[in-house]
Amino acid sequence: MSNRFVEMGLRSPVNLTWEMTQACNLKCRHCLSSSGTPAPDELTTAEALSLVDQIHASRVFQVNIGGGEPFMRPDFEEILAACHERGIMTCISTNGTLLNSELIARLAATRLVNIQVSIDGANRETCDAIRGTGTFDAAIKALKLLAPTTIATSMNTVLTAQNAGEIPALYDMSHSLGVSLRVSRFRPSGRGVDNWEELRPTPTQLLAFSAWLSESGDVRTGDSFFSLTTQERQGLGLNLCGAAKLTACVGPNGNVYPCAFLQSAPFKAGSLRESTFQEIWDSSEIFNSFRRLRIHSCEDCRRFDQCHGGCPAVAWHLKNEISGGDPECLERCVTTIAEQAKDAEAA
Amino acid sequence: MAAAGNKLHPACRVRSEKFGLLFYDLRGPRLLFAETGALLEPDFFSGNEPVDAFLGRLDLRDRNKIQGLLVKLREKGYLSEQ
Repeated sequence: MSNRFVEMGLRSPVNLTWEMTQACNLKCRHCLSSSGTPAPDELTTAEALSLVDQIHASRVFQVNIGGGEPFMRPDFEEILAACHERGIMTCISTNGTLLNSELIARLAATRLVNIQVSIDGANRETCDAIRGTGTFDAAIKALKLLAPTTIATSMNTVLTAQNAGEIPALYDMSHSLGVSLRVSRFRPSGRGVDNWEELRPTPTQLLAFSAWLSESGDVRTGDSFFSLTTQERQGLGLNLCGAAKLTACVGPNGNVYPCAFLQSAPFKAGSLRESTFQEIWDSSEIFNSFRRLRIHSCEDCRRFDQCHGGCPAVAWHLKNEISGGDPECLERCVTTIAEQAKDAEAA
Repeated sequence: MAAAGNKLHPACRVRSEKFGLLFYDLRGPRLLFAETGALLEPDFFSGNEPVDAFLGRLDLRDRNKIQGLLVKLREKGYLSEQ
């Protein structure tokens, strides 16, 4: 039902992903943007504040802030305050290492902040192997500081081959900490390209996660447009890729893309140093091509109404095309497992 | 439950779209798509104009449509309780 309204074209995104900096004090092996050192041409404070004015004028409801590690930006709180003064909801994705009780108290005062703390395993060894030594303990410490506050907090896990078996334990951990769990899909972008083969979940793991997710109603997943539970997503009817329809991404230097996983030259919709955000949203040919995108090869699939062809970003990174259907979709997992079984039998 | 008027809950936002109005609840977050066409402006939900005065200017069909929307918004918590 709601897809129909989205297909008509919204005046602006519902939410905007803003990769505010490439600076990060970690070097996670799956990082979608290969963060570490700041980009040389990141938006200045004045440019960032101008963007806040623009998205306020465009009536964007929420900004999802990531990076890099956003708290690495010295002016981050100033930019956040500008969002909150304009009534814009902010959701901060952080590794938690720079959070302390004073900072959290300042954030909690606004009532317009959600925080996602990244943690990639229920065990220290699993998490630290992906994110770096000490990251598990730092994330747990941050979550314990956040849990008793008014800030809606979640732990965010990227599903990998290494932690797939620990998701139920992470779920239990989230409950014991008093926060929610959000599981994001691992996509082969940024540093994830280099570590794709090692970290990618197997078809069996993806199917097992899907089955578990359908029974775990309050777990959120990392969609491009929202952080929604399975039930909420089905209730809204929003089962399509939201890139350029419900969401967009601004990179550290003000380049604008359909989504955070497609921050590369072929998908650059414009630059905030050359056009306003609204101009890019209204007129970008890249954005219009995503709005016209139909995954015809998937239309006969029994799952089509549930996924509409899946994630174009995964299709791009694995097959160098966005219109060929998601190579890692659940239906293909089933097919792959059957083919592997057949091969094994033949051998 | 206390009656509700037409003032948006502080955690909710609304903006106009081609099809009508798009509501957003920060607490979810949740979206609500209202196919109201040009019948309603987002300002209506500032609560400054009494609902009855606004509805009185509409024909029966539109009045029913807006009343139905207000009931839905109240049920889903998009409006402040009075």
